[in-house]
Parts: sequence; structure tokens; C-alpha cells
Amino acid sequence: MSEIQMSEDRSEERAGSEQRPATSGSRTYDAHFQVWRGDTEGGDLTDYTVEVNEGEVVLDIIHRLQATQAGDLACRWNCKAGKCGSCSAEINGRPRLMCMTRMSTFTEAETITVTPMRAFPVIKDLVTDVSFNYVKASEVPAFAPPAGVAPGDYRMAQVDVERSQEFRKCIECFLCQDTCHVVRDHEENKTAFAGPRFLMRVAELDMHPLDAADRQHQAQEEFGLGYCNITKCCTEVCPEHIKITDNALIPMKERVADRKYDPLVWLGSKIGRRER
Amino acid sequence: MQTHKYDVVIVGAGGAGMRAALESSTRARTAVLTKLYPTRSHTGAAQGGMCAALANVEEDNWEWHTFDTVKGGDYLVDQDAAEVMCKEAIDAVVDLEKMGLPFNRTPAGRIDQRRFGGHTRNHGEAPVRRSCYAADRTGHMILQTLYQNCVKQDVEFFNEFYVLDLLMTPDADGVEVASGVVAYELATGEIHIFNAKAVILATGGFGKVFKTTSNAHTLTGDGMGVVWRKGLPLEDMEFFQFHPTGLAGLGILLSEAARGEGAILRNADGERFMERYAPTIKDLAPRDIVARSMANEVREGRGAGPHKDYVLLDLTHLPREQIDAKLPDITEFARTYLGVEPYTEPVPVYPTAHYAMGGVPTNIEAEVLRNNVDVVPGLYAAGEVACVSVHGSNRLGTNSLLDINVFGRRAGIAAAEYALKAELPELPADPQVMVEAMVSTLLTSTGAEKVNVIRTELQNTMDRNAQVFRTEESLAEAEAEIHALRARYADVAISDKGKRYNSDLLEAVELGFLLDLAEVLVISARNRKESRGGHAREDYLERDDVNYMKHTMAYRGADGEVNLDWKPVVVTRYQPMARKY
Ligand SMILES: Cc1cc2nc3c(=O)[nH]c(=O)nc-3n(C[C@H](O)[C@H](O)[C@H](O)COP(=O)(O)OP(=O)(O)OC[C@H]3O[C@@H](n4cnc5c(N)ncnc54)[C@H](O)[C@@H]3O)c2cc1C
Ligand code: SF4
Ligand code: SF4
Ligand code: FES
Repeated sequence: MSEIQMSEDRSEERAGSEQRPATSGSRTYDAHFQVWRGDTEGGDLTDYTVEVNEGEVVLDIIHRLQATQAGDLACRWNCKAGKCGSCSAEINGRPRLMCMTRMSTFTEAETITVTPMRAFPVIKDLVTDVSFNYVKASEVPAFAPPAGVAPGDYRMAQVDVERSQEFRKCIECFLCQDTCHVVRDHEENKTAFAGPRFLMRVAELDMHPLDAADRQHQAQEEFGLGYCNITKCCTEVCPEHIKITDNALIPMKERVADRKYDPLVWLGSKIGRRER
Repeated sequence: MQTHKYDVVIVGAGGAGMRAALESSTRARTAVLTKLYPTRSHTGAAQGGMCAALANVEEDNWEWHTFDTVKGGDYLVDQDAAEVMCKEAIDAVVDLEKMGLPFNRTPAGRIDQRRFGGHTRNHGEAPVRRSCYAADRTGHMILQTLYQNCVKQDVEFFNEFYVLDLLMTPDADGVEVASGVVAYELATGEIHIFNAKAVILATGGFGKVFKTTSNAHTLTGDGMGVVWRKGLPLEDMEFFQFHPTGLAGLGILLSEAARGEGAILRNADGERFMERYAPTIKDLAPRDIVARSMANEVREGRGAGPHKDYVLLDLTHLPREQIDAKLPDITEFARTYLGVEPYTEPVPVYPTAHYAMGGVPTNIEAEVLRNNVDVVPGLYAAGEVACVSVHGSNRLGTNSLLDINVFGRRAGIAAAEYALKAELPELPADPQVMVEAMVSTLLTSTGAEKVNVIRTELQNTMDRNAQVFRTEESLAEAEAEIHALRARYADVAISDKGKRYNSDLLEAVELGFLLDLAEVLVISARNRKESRGGHAREDYLERDDVNYMKHTMAYRGADGEVNLDWKPVVVTRYQPMARKY
């Protein structure tokens, strides 16, 4: 981890000093890549030497491999702008979006490994079966409109809205799900634990000023909030820089704790918030 | 091969497809087929907002909104459709709020609204605050909200299923009706037949015909391509919107919000050139005007950079806090992709292909037209794939998120109600043959051509010859090059011969659609000898209402040639006027 951290710091410096738009395309070098190739049956790292041009991101290199050396290399991608959440993988072991990882964060001599997300079953090469996440998503009941307030008459304060907007930035890349140690190497925990992305979703609904459902019981009992021991690894990998642990998980734990102590707290908090 | 039977099959799970699914699934058995996981759809990239005359912050009404839409579209808008959209806009926003979408608020707790290019009070008097927004992620939050509500309603999704053919069956009177679709499952390579009473197309745009585009990789116009190959028409395909501020060389979109916050466009000499082209509103002129001005600066040698091929978006005079608070994505894009620090340096930008105004012609019930008057029973379209036409020759910002909600909803209701009355049509004989043949030809081809080479050449010629400036010569050149590329495409081979997650194969199929659509675009553009909205001809600089105030209708002939016809514009209240800002 510390090594990667270091090379990232370097990139910050460079961003300030190099400043060459991609359109000028000056520097080119050959990089050494190791990409995981395989499918459900198994697979291995394969070595490639591949051209890198100034301003490129890891996804560009994967595309160059597809175009020149490995036409059957599978990867998911769509927006190439860090917005669709498709191109998640592990780069040098760290969960990242391939389209938002600049090649300049690595040295030219470095070997760069690209492997599929480890927490999910592989379909082929860098493509994993992420359906676990969609199952969890389907278990979170949607926003429950308040009784007695006509649509169009909803009134909310901007501060309350902003709180859920932060969580709504989530692009469902599932990098946080991939990194969380509760499920990363513990397949057996997957039924009882929804993972940071979906605990955050529950927190978001709980903090919605007009949501009428009881989310706290569900967070604790059905989605395994108790498994989270606030290591913040999820926050560290989130490409949207959402403070998952500090702003969603910890407050949710506090609310659950309050309520365990006194169920009236829950009732009070919902009523209180509705009046605003 | 598997066969599935549904009342309604929806192709596409972006905003339009999922809004349709919410209506249709409560009324009839519905399946949604999508080549991407729903929340990866391109609707999620929309930042700006969604307009509706809520009048929450100042006086406004749907009639003014209609006028702006018609004028913005340079009078090629069908005004009945624009009226429907602007009237239903208000409910569309309230519906989303009811589903849990956290719109930004006013101090009184109501939905906040802000200004957006081309939206005015009282027929152009002054800018009006009409755009409802959720931070700078409006489209993303719409997509998530619709998805969560689809899940709540148990909508059946078939994810990473590529629809490659539309099935049609003649009814008792010999009229061809929609009877389903054929899909290819990416994970397994299996072909699926979906037999349905009604089909809704919601497959989005086709920006990938251009090299510089804000559109994602998968926006290859499959829905339009499938319909086209069935001999059904495509409308107004020459009208493509170029957004002024794409990252130079990459096309990634920097939102209009940057100029809204005060960013300034400059040429290589540091001159604020928009003062010359639009003296009153300068950098905030409508998209087509700004995009052309930028291209003109580059053409006349005042471009910046080593190749003088872009202009500069200058934010350096803005306070850092304002940049961080209001334009976080822009700074992140500039840093990641260009290595530029927007606090201290201007960002290289150039117009980027953004939005298809044309598409599959429909009426205001979202029924697909087979000609100027008759519909294809059971076939519907909504969203960017469709042309109702509410955007005419140039879409106003924020009107697409509105379009997908209003007409997605209409399509869902209409398709389900039709399905409840209809019998399940019989499938045509061997419904899978076309797709099977297409797939096996590609898998077994030993040709010498490569998909990425042909695609790059196509995109290059489109950028060079059919972008913000077009002439008879440039379009003729593009047409000839596309013909040559189509010939080469027949000899294309792929390297992945497997069944499992073979994206190599699908990219080859998508390239086929792109080639067809590029050809329709270019031939339609050659035929329209005027400049209007997103279609600018240097050899015909003026709008010509006498000869061209009509929609283009393109049909595929028996030998694959493009035949053109016209369709009248529906005018209800507003006669064409000069479009000045
Ligand atoms: C960067 C950007 C910013 C924008 N900002 C705004 C804005 O602020 N306001 C605004 O109003 N508009 C904006 N737009 C335009 C607007 O976002 C789009 O026009 C709109 O979202 C299109 O929605 P859709 O539902 O029609 O298509 P999409 O959201 O593109 O969805 C298409 C769907 O079809 C599916 N599909 C495609 N082909 C197939 C196939 N063969 N088989 C199966 N499924 C298929 C895809 O999987 C996807 O689910 C923006 C566009 C871009 C690119
Ligand atoms: S903070 Fe909690 S959810 Fe996040 S990675 Fe650590 S244990 Fe997992
Ligand atoms: S919370 Fe962040 S890391 Fe997790 S899925 Fe969402 S965007 Fe990805
Ligand atoms: S390709 Fe969309 S997030 Fe990377």
C-alpha cells in the first residue's frame, strides 16, 4: 500500500510541472504489463510489453493490447470518464477504475499488474460477475413516500438534501465492495453482509427527511452493519471520494445504538425531522 | 437458443427505457433488455438538469417553455409534441421527487431552479430559472432513482443482452406488426428470442460515428440501425448537436455550467473571441453558435496548442472555492486526462459530438411511424433513439432528460395498453436466422480488415467532413469514404472466436450499425441545402424556410441505397422568426 501511495504522491507533483495536453502527444515508451487472463476454469498472469503515450490512462493500454496483441482480452467499460462504474479492476493489487488511473502515476520501469476484482467470480479475463451487488440492491426497499403529504408539496432543507446527495454520487463501481475485508476473502459472509455500498444506501434513505420507513432495524439485522469495524478501506478506494465510513456507516451505527438504548429515539427523530 | 414470451419488451435501460418500464410493468408482463447494466447507461452522464416551468423561484409557464423549445430547435420542432412535453414536464419532475430523487432546494424547501442556455421568460425577454437539478449529477440521480423503483416493482431485467434484430409479422390484413426481438447474451454467446405483443425501443444515441464525442463507447445507434434494416424510416438524421466544450482531442464533456459560472473562451492570442460572434451574450450563446465560432477560430489560424487545433477555456480568474464547489468534475477531468491544472492554466477544448436530434420517427403517443402517417402496430420508441420531434434541428440543454421522462412514460403506458388488447403475434419462420448468420459470418471470417481500423477511419472522415461545418464537397467526400469502408467491412475479421463475453464480436456488429447510420446522416445532410440549428452548410449559410422547413425522412431501398423524402413540420402557434440571441 505504501508503495502505491508514494507513486500517487509523485503524480500530484507531476500534474503541476508537466502539463502537456494529450493532443500534443510527445513522450512514448514501452511499459511492462501483467494482465490476468482466464475464465471460470482458472487462469494466470500474462506478460505484455506495450507502448504508452503521454497522457494515457490504464484503460488506453488495455485497449491497445486488444488492438495489437490480445484481440480476445475481455474487459468492461463504457464512459471512459469515471462516471459509469464499469471498468473496475485491481491495478497493482489496488481496486481502481482503469479509466481514471493515469499511467504517469507509475514509473517507466515498473511492472504493472491488472487483475479482476477479487471479491467477485470471474467471467472472463478482467470481467467479473457482479450480480451479488444487484441482489443486495434489490433487497433495499426503495424510498417510502410520506403519508399525508401530496406529491408536489414536499418541503426539505438544502442541508438535508446535501447529505443524501453525497451518497447519491455513487457510480456503483463496487470497488468498495471489492476491498472490504468482511467479504473480500470471506465468501461465507456474503449472505449476512451487504457491503459498504448498500449500507450507505440504507443510511442515505434513513437520512432522507421524508422517508417513512424504518431503516435502522434493517441495517443492523438484515444487512450486517455490525460486521463493519470501520477500517475505512472502502472510503480509501472510492473514486467518487465519498466519505462512506465517516458520513454514512458511523452515523448509522450511532443511530442504531441510540435506538437500541431507547426505541423512542427513533420515533422522535423521524417526527422531528418531518416537521422541518 | 431460448424463447421467452412477454406482453411488453423494452430495449434499453437508460432513462427512457426505465421510465417506460415503471408504467408498463404495473399494467402488463414486462421485460427490459439492455446491453449494459441499467445504472451504467449514458443517462447517468447528464449533469446539467431538467427543465420544467414549476415557477418555484420566479414567474414561468409551460407556454414560454414551449416557445423556447421551438425557437431553440430553429422551428423544425413539431409544436404539438413540444406542447405535450412542456406541459407534462411539471408532473415529470414531481414524479421523480416522489420516487425519492433529492433535487436541490430553495430556502423555502421547494425544488430549486437555475438558468440554462436558451430558456427565457416571456418569449425571449430575459433568462429564466427553469432547470431543476440535483448537484451536478442530475442524470445520474434520475437513473439511480428509476432503477431503484424498477427493482421495487420487480421489473425483469436481462442485463448484457444485445438486441440485434426486430421481429415483425404480418397481421390478418397483411400489415406488419411488431412481434418481438432477437438478442445475443454477452456472457454466454447464446441467442434468445423474445416474443412480445409490444416492443419499446429506448436504445439512446449514436455519437460514436464521430471521433470527438461526449458519448460513451456503447452509443452506437443499435435501435436506429435495427429499425433501418427493417426498411422503416429514420427522420432528420443530419441534425447532430456539437457541444462547445469537449476536452480537446478526447471529447469528454465539460458542462455548460463552467461558462455559467463565468469561465471564458479564448483563442491562442488570449482574445475573448465570443465578443465578436455574439456581442450581447458572448460565451453563453446557444451551443451551435459557440461551437461554430470555436471551429472558425481554429480554421482561421487562431487555435492554441502545438497544432493550433483547439481553443482555451479559462477558469483561472475564478476563486478556487467556487471551482471546487461548483465544477469538481471539470477539474478532475482536466487533471486526469490532460494533466492540466485548471486553477492556474486554461483548459484545451474543442466542440464534441453530443446529441442526435434525429432518429426513429414517432407520434406523440410514442408509436413508431412507417411513413408520414401510418404507424407500425406494437412498436414504440422513446428517448434519444426517437424523433418525436421535440428538439427540431437543435436541442436546448436540459430538454433531453425531460424528453426521456415524458415520452418514456407515454411509451410505457401506450405499449402496455396496446398489449392488453392484442394477441401474442406469431413469430416469423426461423426468427433467429438473421442474427445467427451475422454472428457466424463474423466468427468464421478470415478477412484482412480490422474493426478498430475501419471504425477509426469512419470517425476521422466524419470529424473532418460532417462536423460543425459542412459543404457539398466535404459531404461528398465523406459519402465516398463511407462507401469504401462499407466494402471493406464485408471483409472484416475478429480475433476472439469464443462464446464467452466476446466483446470483440459485438464491436464488429456495432460497427455495422455505425456505418449504416453515418451514411444516412451524410446523405441527408447533402440533401439539405440550408443551414439550420445543428446542421451548418458553408455553401448555404441561411435558413431557407421556403424550401426546407420540413423533416427529412430516409428509407433504405431494396439494394441498401438511401432514398429520401420529406415530412411536414407540425406548426400550432409559432411561425418561424429569425433566431437571434
Ligand atoms: C456527457 C453528457 C451530458 C449530458 N447532459 C445533459 C443534461 O444536463 N440535460 C439533458 O437534458 N440532457 C443531457 N444529455 C443528454 C441525455 O443525457 C441523453 O440524451 C439521454 O440521457 C438519453 O437517454 P436514453 O434513455 O434515450 O438513452 P441512454 O441513457 O443512452 O440508454 C440507452 C440504453 O439502451 C441500451 N441499449 C443500447 N443498444 C442496445 C442493444 N442493441 N440491445 C440492448 N440494449 C441496448 C443501453 O444498454 C442503455 O441501457 C447529456 C449527454 C451527455 C453525453
Ligand atoms: S469501513 Fe466497514 S464497510 Fe468499509 S471497508 Fe472497513 S469494514 Fe468494510
Ligand atoms: S461508494 Fe464509491 S467505491 Fe463504492 S460503489 Fe459507490 S462509487 Fe464505487
Ligand atoms: S469506463 Fe466508465 S467508469 Fe471507467
